[in-house]
Amino acid sequence: MDYFEPKTVGEAVSLLAKYGAEAKIIAGGTDMLVDMKYKEEPGCLINIKKIPGLSSIQENGGSLRIGALTTIRDVETNALVRDKLTVLWESSHQFASLQIRNTATIGGNICRASPSGETLAPLLVLEAKGKYVSADGEKTEPFSSLFQGPGKTSLGSKGLLTAIDVPYPAAGSKSVYLKHAVRGAMDIAMVGVAVLVTPDATKNNIQDVRIGLGAVAPTPIRATKTEALLRGIPLSTALIKEAAAMAATESSPIDDQRSSAENRRWIVDALIRRGLTQTWKAATGKEVA
Amino acid sequence: MSLTINTTINGKSVSASAEPSTSLLDFLRDTLEFKGTKLCCNTGECGACSIIYNGKPINSCVTLAADANGAEITTIEGVADGDKLHPVQQAFIDTGAVQCGYCTPGYIISVKALLDRTTKPTAEDIEEAVSGNICRCTGYTKIVDAIQLAADRMAGRV
Repeated sequence: MDYFEPKTVGEAVSLLAKYGAEAKIIAGGTDMLVDMKYKEEPGCLINIKKIPGLSSIQENGGSLRIGALTTIRDVETNALVRDKLTVLWESSHQFASLQIRNTATIGGNICRASPSGETLAPLLVLEAKGKYVSADGEKTEPFSSLFQGPGKTSLGSKGLLTAIDVPYPAAGSKSVYLKHAVRGAMDIAMVGVAVLVTPDATKNNIQDVRIGLGAVAPTPIRATKTEALLRGIPLSTALIKEAAAMAATESSPIDDQRSSAENRRWIVDALIRRGLTQTWKAATGKEVA
Repeated sequence: MSLTINTTINGKSVSASAEPSTSLLDFLRDTLEFKGTKLCCNTGECGACSIIYNGKPINSCVTLAADANGAEITTIEGVADGDKLHPVQQAFIDTGAVQCGYCTPGYIISVKALLDRTTKPTAEDIEEAVSGNICRCTGYTKIVDAIQLAADRMAGRV
């Protein structure tokens, strides 16, 4: 196995261009080490941790720029993330264990593209964008086009994610990340649900709502039909019930060792009801009638 | 290809070679003979291989040996001060928090890292600090007692 520790993004991108599909990038390594031990070693391993400048969190107008090498722990303990991006804070706080959070990077969690990747449904709901660098240059794209299947991104082995831009949600909105797993720590989500609600000025109608679902489709997804159902109207108990059932049909889960598909749909239904009820109350001060 | 790793372990400079795919755990145990750091799940799920890396607890089994280059590492062998046990080690003995003992080095490391940060941990701090450590003998209550006792002793409360 060839091994490199590039010192610049340009150097890393040249190595990717040279080695193509044989190359794998390693950052924190918490997933890559397991693959290398139990699946196979790549032809070429590119350790990007020596590239300076990719591990900071900076406020940039109405958004946060988070470097790809920022550890999950640094995301979790950042005051701006906790204050402005509640749903991302909650998912980083529920991420694996302290040891893993001290090592794993947010860029790694994204590029790993696991359907259950803890930060992914929250980042979809926050409409975060990735900054990618490849041999063709630099581009900024939303995550909606990045995830293509379990472990597959549109980047492939061609480019490097260097940072993400996460816009602050509208003033007055509230968000929550709800994870269902057997064990509190160190367990992969059976279902993860991210909900963000923005009421209108009267606090009677839903101005905007975004729903992200993790671990219930080949990629993390937005429940767009459910969102359309809810926008512009007052939230009621009957509407929550209808929305939760619709979100469950928008998911396409599989049976595996963690849960049956049918059970996952039930959990989506339950977590959406809980998420909408909680965020609506937090945002309006009112119980759903 | 083989890499030369220059690192600091328990305050001493060490230099040795490793293959690029070697985990830090294998490097510590098999190359440098620090056998106190335990191999268990080997996938980053159980915490038996915990070490302190630049001040933070991490799982050495899912870290590259190459990343030890230039780092400061504390293993269980570096926790005691000569023959004098660290307060965390003494508290584990005094409360009976050790059963088979296999998970213990990992716990001691996680707890030391916590108490290096604060000697007034909340119940939530304690739970978070050892959330990545599994004890298959399931003696968790005694472990939590040990952490509290160690914190109290380190802060001079008892």
